[in-house]
Amino acid sequence: MDKVKEYPKGENPFKLFADHLAAVGTGLKYLVKPTRITLKYPEEAMTLPTGYRGMIRLYKDVCIGCTLCAMVCPADAMKMATEEGKKLPMINYGRCVFCGFCVDICPVDALKETGVHDAAFSNRRELVFDPDKFDKDYDELPSGEILIRKVKTRIDEKKGVIHEPDQ
Amino acid sequence: MWLSSIAYYFFYPSFFIPVIFPGLIFILIALLFTIWAERKFAAKVQMRFGPFYASKRLGGFLQLVADMIKFAFSEIIVPREVNKTLFILGPILITGFSLVPISVIPISSIPQTGSILSPYYGVFHDTYSSLSLFSAVLTPYSLALAIALTSVVSVLVILTAWVTNNRFAMISGIREGYLSVSYDALITISIIGIALEFHSLDISKIVTAGIPGIIANPLAAIVFLIGMLMGSSRFPFDITEADSELVTGPYTEYSGLLFVMTMAGSYILNFAYSLIFADVFLGGWTPLTGFPGALLTVVKAMIVLLLSVFMRSVYGRYRIDQALRGSWKYVFPAALASVILGLVVGPWIR
Repeated sequence: MDKVKEYPKGENPFKLFADHLAAVGTGLKYLVKPTRITLKYPEEAMTLPTGYRGMIRLYKDVCIGCTLCAMVCPADAMKMATEEGKKLPMINYGRCVFCGFCVDICPVDALKETGVHDAAFSNRRELVFDPDKFDKDYDELPSGEILIRKVKTRIDEKKGVIHEPDQ
Repeated sequence: MWLSSIAYYFFYPSFFIPVIFPGLIFILIALLFTIWAERKFAAKVQMRFGPFYASKRLGGFLQLVADMIKFAFSEIIVPREVNKTLFILGPILITGFSLVPISVIPISSIPQTGSILSPYYGVFHDTYSSLSLFSAVLTPYSLALAIALTSVVSVLVILTAWVTNNRFAMISGIREGYLSVSYDALITISIIGIALEFHSLDISKIVTAGIPGIIANPLAAIVFLIGMLMGSSRFPFDITEADSELVTGPYTEYSGLLFVMTMAGSYILNFAYSLIFADVFLGGWTPLTGFPGALLTVVKAMIVLLLSVFMRSVYGRYRIDQALRGSWKYVFPAALASVILGLVVGPWIR
């Protein structure tokens, strides 16, 4: 920190003026050829990498009810429920921290991470998924007329971050 | 018959200019467009999209209309311990006095025949420049008068800041006082340079001299442009209403439609300056006459206005001392040089 670059003051005013012109010119260049890094999110969504830790789903038929997932859960989000004599996990997304320990520890791979991270709920009771609700795949698109374009993010040397349509 | 007489009074320059074409009604639309463009320009340079979802087809233009409706329906709060009359009068005076200069700026000339404006050829005949001018008020000193009228606004901004009786407003009022001294000097001296060069304080004579001021005296054009940015508090001289340090400066306590008026005031003032710039430096209506000429002048003024709002996306805000040092140390000598340039080049311009 002892060597701070100092800009000399009282420079040549013509050079100062040229610098101002250069600044405005750069601005105009960006105005004519804009590069947008903003993602129009509800219409465009980024393709997530494989192994993305999104919302978790359960395969009810595979589950053996060993309670390991509930035991390892650091946030106490996973609880076991008894359904017709069989123990099945249920999850509270109000507590879940998406650490993925339950998926890792499951001895029969009955839990799976989906790529969905943008779910919305209108009250806290909906956050608790009982085994039946937990069994469904969350990958499906929200029903409606909005078409979501999946985009991939690439870093270009000249343009910066650009979004390309996926597939 | 009665239709033509209504048309006569409708297009009468003293009514048509202040109220309809470059005046109130046009300015309302131009204001919405300018603020929309300002936000879009800044968004493009900063790699964003800007207003978009209010109307996707129009690129978010209706966002401004929505904003205006929101402001129109919000409550106007008057603080308890202010002078109520002056508090309400402040923004109205700012907007009003920003509109006044437009009526003395000639925006076109009237041909003797063949134009929709030709009936006024005799009424608006300026004996001084032997032209008929499309201008609400005829005066041989239109340039000096327009500049004088624009400089009233800064006094009214200080009045608003004082009457608001808020510490942010007080600080910004002092800043406006400092700035107004420096930009008025810049604008006035650059205008003196132009007046000496074209041997006239009449805008129409300068326009019809045949050579646009930006070629005849580029120094004066640059100085005037900087003075214009300062005078209408555009970036980088957005020092009086510095919203990240002084809330909104003199307009801190205003809400609802009064706030819209304070905001509109600076844009209208900028438009008035742009009209002067378009006439004096960009050749005004020169190749055309009549109504197309007026359109040409206003399009040029709009381009200047868009350029000055574009500065928001390029510059940050100067400190008050940086702005004052810049204007007195660098721009003021340039203004004096423009006077000398005007004196030197003047004899060749007829």
